[in-house]
Amino acid sequence: MRKILIVEDDRALASEQRRLLQDAGYDADVLNTGFSDPERAARTIAEAMPDLVLLDIGLAGGSGTLKIGASGPLTGGASVYGLAVQNAAQMAVDEINEAGGLNGMQFEFSMLDDKNDASTIATNYASLFEDGMQVSLGTVTSKPGLEFKNLSKEDNVFFLTPSASADAIPEFDNGYQLCFADGNQGAAAAKYVNDNLAGNTIGVLYKSDDVYSTGILNQFKDTLDDSVQLIEASFMGETVASFDSQINLLKGCKFIFMPIYYTPASQFMVQAKNVIAPDAVYYGCDGLDGIETGVEGFDIYTIPQEISFLSHFNSKATEGPAADFIQKYVDKYGAETLNQFGAAAYDCIYALYGAMKQAIDNGKEITADTSASDLCDILKEIFNGGYSFTGVTGEYANGAQTSMSWNANGYVNKAAVKYIVKEAGATAPAK
Amino acid sequence: MEFLHTLINGLSLGGIYALVALGYTMVYGIAKMLNFAHGDIIMVSGYVILVFLSMTGNPLLAIFASIVFCILLGVVIEKVAYKPLRGASPLAVLITAIGVSYLLQSLAQMIFGADPKMIVIYDFGSVSIGAFSIEVKTLLTLFASLVVMISLTLFIKFSRTGRAMLAVSEDRGAAQLMGVSVNRIITITFAIGSALAALAGTFYLLKAPNMNPTFGSLPGIKAFTAAVIGGIGSVPGAMFGGLLLGIIECLCNAVPVLSPYTDAIEFLILILILLVKPTGILGKKRREKV
Repeated sequence: MRKILIVEDDRALASEQRRLLQDAGYDADVLNTGFSDPERAARTIAEAMPDLVLLDIGLAGGSGTLKIGASGPLTGGASVYGLAVQNAAQMAVDEINEAGGLNGMQFEFSMLDDKNDASTIATNYASLFEDGMQVSLGTVTSKPGLEFKNLSKEDNVFFLTPSASADAIPEFDNGYQLCFADGNQGAAAAKYVNDNLAGNTIGVLYKSDDVYSTGILNQFKDTLDDSVQLIEASFMGETVASFDSQINLLKGCKFIFMPIYYTPASQFMVQAKNVIAPDAVYYGCDGLDGIETGVEGFDIYTIPQEISFLSHFNSKATEGPAADFIQKYVDKYGAETLNQFGAAAYDCIYALYGAMKQAIDNGKEITADTSASDLCDILKEIFNGGYSFTGVTGEYANGAQTSMSWNANGYVNKAAVKYIVKEAGATAPAK
Repeated sequence: MEFLHTLINGLSLGGIYALVALGYTMVYGIAKMLNFAHGDIIMVSGYVILVFLSMTGNPLLAIFASIVFCILLGVVIEKVAYKPLRGASPLAVLITAIGVSYLLQSLAQMIFGADPKMIVIYDFGSVSIGAFSIEVKTLLTLFASLVVMISLTLFIKFSRTGRAMLAVSEDRGAAQLMGVSVNRIITITFAIGSALAALAGTFYLLKAPNMNPTFGSLPGIKAFTAAVIGGIGSVPGAMFGGLLLGIIECLCNAVPVLSPYTDAIEFLILILILLVKPTGILGKKRREKV
């Protein structure tokens, strides 16, 4: 039987061609090495010894693009995060390509829908990898991300996730986070307090039977400066009978750290609004994200105190790189999907671009044909070697954006932003 | 001063526990069953207040409506779920009560959803005497629960129905022979218990304004503990147990080191009391006749 080898980067087309040729009585096979590794392709052709090669022209790997893959929820309840990542990453890729790419090599970004469902990741990952993904943004959310990190480890694919914040995401040496890991919020919050409130007395309200809350608190205390006096108050259970005692403990504090979720926080704020000083600050972690709308009947504008939480991006920024990003993003995609996820994805693309540029400057060779595994080794060396990057996330202070770096565990190290949900004494904006 | 503040907060919280504990203890004393759906009446009262408050905007009307609704609900639950089981094994009644509890929670979740809803019935503000400042609702809760407890005691001691309740709890068979309608007394007990729970729900909502379908679980279990501490079946025992538990809870929460262990301390005290006095502090010793 005559042997025909199909070299085609469109997988649907390739399998259809194979079916037709097989129906016509040929031994047809598809070469699917991803075209990013010409040596492997040549080896396969040599091994197969075909009578005929059906070669596509303008194959992706050969025409000078570097493929970045990602997976995220583009439909379903969490789609606002996935769409933000897709939009912002595409925006960054377009900007880089317009400016001439990486030494003339263009970037290509593709993202598959995982509906925030971990069971879709095996298929998504296989599609991305077979399609020639050389480097990745991993996943947008944590649960699928825990699956993704295992698969990418097997093939040694480097990923830098914008927003999958579970502590275990960067478990292996090929995974990095641009967002704060859940457990690192405590340290980031303590750094904020050390920088801004040294010598003061602050309060903390935590939930003693919740590992999210106690985990952040312990790390917060470890990092907190000795000059800061800490008054601790705690509660437990899903419903709290009364915050009277806790309010009594915290009533002298002008700054109250709240590593808790927004439901008990809203109850505390309502009960404490007349007792805690009106110019006091409530400072939470990502558990307070959504407090404006999360509890029906709770109006943040009835609370005189300032409500804020730790974040890495200020979506209300009026100056600095964050403001520029907001302007560009809203012009292109509208304000509906503007959030910290998009900003982080934008930074991820530029951080990868910067790292690759630095590697090339160091004499490493990165081309459109560099395999994912080789690129992963190159990037690991850069990210572990004190690579520092300045983007749109992180703190903007004294007219300059602060930079971020990564530690050997893959966790990001950057200054947190105090995101103000509502300023002290603010009234509801007119509709 | 701090201590006095904590004490008043504790008494006010204890007043709520006592109101709920009275429902547990009266039903246990008269119908000889543990009504585990009692805590969920608190939750129902909260949602009735939510509905009426958003419809009329009148807090007093909403509170009144919640009391009426809960009395009807309590009576209906007794007639439909518990009456057919009178004379059945205590275990069957207990399981039924747990079933009713889950039914109420699931219904609430179907109707109102699982998301928390904040209900601010009325903002009373706070009063201060010199440097001492306390919230009006705390004092109001304390005062109202004391008034209710005193009236209930007087009602049981001096009214015909009250004495009939005592008689049924003492000896159901003998009371029936004396012409007391046991079914009527049990219905009245459920009605009173549910009214107290509705009232407790109102006060609890003033303290903890975030409603959800499991809103009644925590005060329910705490009040049951209070009833056992005081001696289940004993009306003064439930009042005493409720107030004691409220004070312990607020004192523990006021000390940062003890605060994470509040629940553990409360139940440790329950165990200690039961070890020393198995029938609870004010519980009657029942002589076993051989």
